[in-house]
Amino acid sequence: MFIFGVNFPEQRLVTRALQSFYGIGPAVSQTLMARFRIHKTAKIGDLGDRQVDDLAAELSTMTIENDLKRQMVDNIKRLRDMGTYRGRRHAMGYPVRGQNTRGQIMTSRKLNRIERRR
Amino acid sequence: MSSSVCLRCFKRALIPPESSSSLTTAHRAAFSTSPSLSANPPKKKPSVGKTQGKSQAKPGKTLRLTKNKRVQTGRPPAPGERKALRKRIVLSNTNALDVPGLENLTTENVKDTGRLRELEGRVLGFGEDTVDAMRALEAFKPGQGWSLFKRPAALVRKDMIELGEAVQNAKENNSVARRVVFGERGSGKSVLLLQGMAMAYLQGWVVLHFPEARPITNAQTAYQPIQTAEGETIYVQPHYIAGVLGNIAAANRGLLNDLRLSKQHKLPIPLQSNISLTRLVELGARDPQLAYPIWKAFLSEMTAPSQPEKQGQLRPPVFVGMDGVDHIMRMSAYLDTDMKPIHAHDLAIARDYASLLSGKTPLPNGGIVMAATSASTRPAVPTLDHFLARKHAETHAQALTTIRDALLDQAKTAKSIQDIDLTNLEALTPASFPPPLALQAQNLQYLVLRFHDQNASLHSLRKYLHSFAPKLPEWNPFEAMDQHVADVMQTGVGVTKMEGLSKEEARSVMEYYARSGMMRGAVTEGLVSERWTLAGGGIVGELERGAVRARF
Repeated sequence: MFIFGVNFPEQRLVTRALQSFYGIGPAVSQTLMARFRIHKTAKIGDLGDRQVDDLAAELSTMTIENDLKRQMVDNIKRLRDMGTYRGRRHAMGYPVRGQNTRGQIMTSRKLNRIERRR
Repeated sequence: MSSSVCLRCFKRALIPPESSSSLTTAHRAAFSTSPSLSANPPKKKPSVGKTQGKSQAKPGKTLRLTKNKRVQTGRPPAPGERKALRKRIVLSNTNALDVPGLENLTTENVKDTGRLRELEGRVLGFGEDTVDAMRALEAFKPGQGWSLFKRPAALVRKDMIELGEAVQNAKENNSVARRVVFGERGSGKSVLLLQGMAMAYLQGWVVLHFPEARPITNAQTAYQPIQTAEGETIYVQPHYIAGVLGNIAAANRGLLNDLRLSKQHKLPIPLQSNISLTRLVELGARDPQLAYPIWKAFLSEMTAPSQPEKQGQLRPPVFVGMDGVDHIMRMSAYLDTDMKPIHAHDLAIARDYASLLSGKTPLPNGGIVMAATSASTRPAVPTLDHFLARKHAETHAQALTTIRDALLDQAKTAKSIQDIDLTNLEALTPASFPPPLALQAQNLQYLVLRFHDQNASLHSLRKYLHSFAPKLPEWNPFEAMDQHVADVMQTGVGVTKMEGLSKEEARSVMEYYARSGMMRGAVTEGLVSERWTLAGGGIVGELERGAVRARF
């Protein structure tokens, strides 16, 4: 079944399907499911047409996936363009919030780029 | 003084690697994003220990042993297979001996309360027909030890006889008995419920049963909002209700086949006006979307006045049971649109049961509404616990008040304290009272006997007796009470606490174990005493565990 342009198998849990989108975690998925009266262990196949439509409509109004990523990249870009320390640290692949840089900076090494991807 | 910016980093950022001249930097922005700089940091050399897969462990870091490798043996269990195995009900053990002379719980036994009383303390089997019906209602549960014996049988206890009398009474006077059974884990609450249902079934009652209240509230089944006539929002659980209707149809088929619809119901589908109730219930069981309207229609048929003179309009008494009732006496795990938990009494099926339990839905043809709490899956239900404790204490407080009043009457007429008859007081066993009353009972006994021994004046005895009043558990006023639950429990619902077996009952059960060949050795006084004590004072589940399951 298609939700927000992604085809999910019928037996996939709704909460898991929702959390596969960038920007939806446990809390947001719980809110969404409560709003559309989907119980906790519902599978994609159990959803009614109405629920699927409502869910799709709701997801399309939310800032998730590429929109959210773009927003994040823009925020970093703004920092960088202003010439701030944080912007610079992002671009250099170093931790941004004052951590030591001798070791244990895997995450920033992995994620922080001049053009951050994720 | 150290600068807030690391100068070394600053320098590195300012000076592009290709130029070493510091003169040009003055014309540039503090930080540039020109394409020459947008190259990513240089890649690590592959020799540093980089692996392809993310989850793959670094080589050399973990100990490689054959036992650390997960080996696939056989096929993995299919979806639902393990649960089916866990929930499987086995009611027979071919290796156990057939107990000679094991009587059955029959209609004749049950109809006559005198006869039933004679059977107290004996183990009675369930007939095949009863077993089928009870199995359809899911009244037998895994873990109750049915699989240890040749065929299902249970002890006739005092509580069961009281229940049998309540069944008789309800049948004769068209009255309704509403009762919550509570007690320790393994004390026989669910089996008492089963016996109650069996007795009702044998006398031609309609038996409705919710085998577990937990699946109603733990948000594992679909729910939909509907509006009641009063404008409240309640939630129906179509799939759950369909399952319950299926059970009801299977268990009461013989009876419901002869009963016909007596009213017009508002249903989403057109119905023939005179179909049998079995057909009606089966329709609901087949289509979850119809289940709730059909459940309502069925309930209203069951609560319609009986008209025996009309064909198919007889309405027998109804037995409504629910096990694990504490789960519907609290907030459910379902959420409403504002992310607030929904109270269990706002779930349609729990609401209907609660209104039967509170007597809001009358049963004009008589009936019993019985609930058993669950001790093994016990949720926190302070309000229910309070009312259970209080009502239980009330029944005992009655005994204390009677003794006090009798003493007071005697103290008024007697000439001296030595004339007062103390046999009732001496027979009092404070240990049998629930905790807050036990101490009071002990005090009453001790002080009055001391007055008697010291030959105190009658005046002082009277003064003491006047000041004596049993104290009942009170609700802590600083905590919020669950009003839904309080409304149900304040309506004259009776409570029964399941206590341990007496030694005679324990002996009878152990003899049954021995005759089934499931317990070796002779059943002697000493063995019974030992097992009874080890079972926490005759808790029947523990007795079985100690005597039959754990064989050393």
